[in-house]
Amino acid sequence: MKAILTDITKCIGCNECVKACKVINNLPPDKPREWQKTDGLSASNWTSVLHNGKYNLRKQCRHCLEPACVSVCPVGALHNTETGAVIYDNNKCLGCRYCMMACPYGIPRYDWDEPVPYIKKCILCYYKIQNGTISQPACTSACPTGATIYGERNELLKEARRRIKSEPDKYLNTIYGEKEVGGTNVLYITAKDCPLDFLLYYNNRIEKGIELAGMPDLNEALPITTKWAMGAVPFAFLGMGALMSGIYWVINRRSKLQGVVQSENQKKEDEDGQDK
Amino acid sequence: MDRINKAKLILWTILGIACAVAITRFIFGLGVTTNLTDNTPWGFWIGFDVMGGVALAAGGFVIASFNYIFGKKVLHPIARAAILTAFLGYIAVAIGLLFDLGLPWNIWHMIIYWNPHSPLFEVGWCVMLYLAVLTLEFTPVVLEKYPNIKLLSIIHGFLYKIRIPLVILGIMLSTLHQSSLGSLFLAMPYRLHPLWYSPIIPIIFFLSAICLGFMMVMLESMTSSYLYRKEQEINILEKIKKYASYMIIVYLLVRFCDIIIRGAGSFLFNISWGMTLFWIEILLSCIIPLVIFSIPIKKIKISILYFGAFIGVVGVVFNRLNVGGITHLNNLTEIGSFYFPSLMEFSISAGVVSVAMLVFFFFVENFKVWEEMPNINNSIKKSTRFDSFKVYLGTNKIINRTKFSFAFIIAFSLTFSFISGSEIHSSGFEKTPVTKARGADTLIIDGNRDGYGVVFAHENHKKQGFTCGYCHHMNKPDDKATGCYECHDDMYLTGEAFRHEWHSSSNGANINCFECHNKSESKGKNFKFSDKKAIQICKDCHNNIIPSDSRIKILKTYKTLSYTDAMHSLCIKCHENKLKSDALIKQSKPNLAQCSSCHKNFKSYKKVKKLFQDKKNNKWVVIPIFKQIEGNIVQ
Repeated sequence: MKAILTDITKCIGCNECVKACKVINNLPPDKPREWQKTDGLSASNWTSVLHNGKYNLRKQCRHCLEPACVSVCPVGALHNTETGAVIYDNNKCLGCRYCMMACPYGIPRYDWDEPVPYIKKCILCYYKIQNGTISQPACTSACPTGATIYGERNELLKEARRRIKSEPDKYLNTIYGEKEVGGTNVLYITAKDCPLDFLLYYNNRIEKGIELAGMPDLNEALPITTKWAMGAVPFAFLGMGALMSGIYWVINRRSKLQGVVQSENQKKEDEDGQDK
Repeated sequence: MDRINKAKLILWTILGIACAVAITRFIFGLGVTTNLTDNTPWGFWIGFDVMGGVALAAGGFVIASFNYIFGKKVLHPIARAAILTAFLGYIAVAIGLLFDLGLPWNIWHMIIYWNPHSPLFEVGWCVMLYLAVLTLEFTPVVLEKYPNIKLLSIIHGFLYKIRIPLVILGIMLSTLHQSSLGSLFLAMPYRLHPLWYSPIIPIIFFLSAICLGFMMVMLESMTSSYLYRKEQEINILEKIKKYASYMIIVYLLVRFCDIIIRGAGSFLFNISWGMTLFWIEILLSCIIPLVIFSIPIKKIKISILYFGAFIGVVGVVFNRLNVGGITHLNNLTEIGSFYFPSLMEFSISAGVVSVAMLVFFFFVENFKVWEEMPNINNSIKKSTRFDSFKVYLGTNKIINRTKFSFAFIIAFSLTFSFISGSEIHSSGFEKTPVTKARGADTLIIDGNRDGYGVVFAHENHKKQGFTCGYCHHMNKPDDKATGCYECHDDMYLTGEAFRHEWHSSSNGANINCFECHNKSESKGKNFKFSDKKAIQICKDCHNNIIPSDSRIKILKTYKTLSYTDAMHSLCIKCHENKLKSDALIKQSKPNLAQCSSCHKNFKSYKKVKKLFQDKKNNKWVVIPIFKQIEGNIVQ
């Protein structure tokens, strides 16, 4: 399982990764359109560097271990790979945009201006690495300071822990992406005065006083939330069928019996009448 | 004109508008026709057309179950109409979905590519199967009309025999997808407001669908009685009213128990947008209908009952819209932009609804959906006097059809002409007009005035040996140094340097087309551009359009780069070359080609500085990067 570790304290915001991504994926130049988000990602920009004056942060697809987008795609166009990259198959896509709705990080983007639109997002240079054209994603190889590195997930986690341990004053003691929503393949470590909680989609609603009422735990993978409902489907289906057939049988029989009783009663009444 | 024909005229007009918009949507894509964004990828078409539509069609399975399974024979007269409504409702959902999907021609992929983990996969399959079941349930009504054709009557007999299993299958499928529409949102705990996000949202959806089913059937019965001037079906209405009230009470109980048990009770009285929407929804979908339904039917006017059912239907559809988008946290809070459907989205939805209603009227008038066929001709007055209107529109028989056709065509063409091409192409682009650089010897080049510009010293560059023409590479007639902003007129978008319209208009340059364009010898229609000739013509007026020291030697294109691209390509190229060639500069000023060497922290930088250094704000921003410029303009 390969992963990317991005160290916020080392990033200088030179945008080399963005350029490298554009070149290797042959992406067109960016145009400001009104449907884009303010974080710089778009259908033609699969990674972007955010600045807050002191630190720089590279945003990209997080490549979850148990991705919500994969579990919700009705045709299975998105899928997990053995290297950890979450990739997609344009030929299967319907364009329902459920993956965009379900992504907890709000990453997948859409070709809104095309009459034949597709979903676009970072694929960790999956096909090129499989071909052997490159040994690591373009963004990590372009990084001049080693702020973002590529490697085995376990190794990177060890490395992150080592860095945090060696400089506890500098680093925040959290590895973003280690556990949240079931773990991601793009990990972040950051400086003490720069928590990255906002990366999780709409996590800042907690600041706005909207708590997690009845919502799943942050560390729970999102596909689990739909599991009970999807598991209940066959039972609900057959149960409803059995229930309806049962009710039909009972009511039909009752009305038949009533019919018999009524006709008997009528016969009796008729006979009584004849007798009188 | 009769009520029904007035209604049809309005529906045909709406349909005309929708058809024009539909063409636009499929040619130009979703971005320009809808207000959807990367932040709110689902909008009105999913919220109303699909989720609302499926819920509105719930009347079919509710009435079918009561009529065939529970043996409530009172409901029999409206069973066929309810099934027809459900059938058309699902057709409408399918059509609405085709507009919303990015690649609607791939919709059949759901049949061959399976992902059983996805609630949408399940909804898709259930809707497909249920549509088939509804077709089979409704076919006997059509076949009845042709009792003489033997094959059809055999099929009719067969379908009649299997009607009970069909009804049961329909109920099973309906249960599944009515609730699965709620399951769609289980995967989005980070989007939905806590008053709506619940682990049992499928059950809530199922219960509200049954409530809606009853109210919708009432509404439908009353509407068609009004339109076709029939007597109101009081007995049936009274029964349904009773069932509807019970269901609404059950739904209310489940809804509030769920909220309180989950621990979201505090949101009920915590003044916010979410709370307001929630109480409006409860008031519309439950409280107003309950109050009206609790009054005995003989004591109230039919219009008040109609109002109650209508408000209830609106309320439940409002619930679907709330879950489907309105209450998503990116809409309610400041995280994202607020989504409001565009006019085009509304008109497509209205068009889909009108199609369904028109087809409903067609079936009702031509087949035995109700106990009695409505007589639409009895109200046409026979006027003996000469009617000039009739002469133009045809005889009594076809007068309505002519009117409908006119309404459709006029609406279609008017809408089509109002959808302007240039607007379509420009919409979606955020235009950032460029302003003139301030200063004379020392320029502040800051096109969009965000305080993030560059101070440029003319004198310094002159000392380096650059002539004016090096930067002012193209000038307007009789102008020595035209400002950059005149041609590069947008910060990020490419523009046009050559104003075609002005040159060809009689008020402007008044140049004949053929002076610039070569007439092709073969056909005469095919215009071909000729470089040499054009430049000769240009030079007639533009004496020094290209100064002798300009970097541009030959005109290749009239497209201009965006302002940022133009500036960067002009400055950076030199700075980089200088850095490479001059070892002395490299030592003393190693940062000559770094961003911050030009974009310095000077006075007008304040605005950005504030944004950046406001730690409380802690806002993350993207700084536009240098674009990779394909195709150099410099020869």
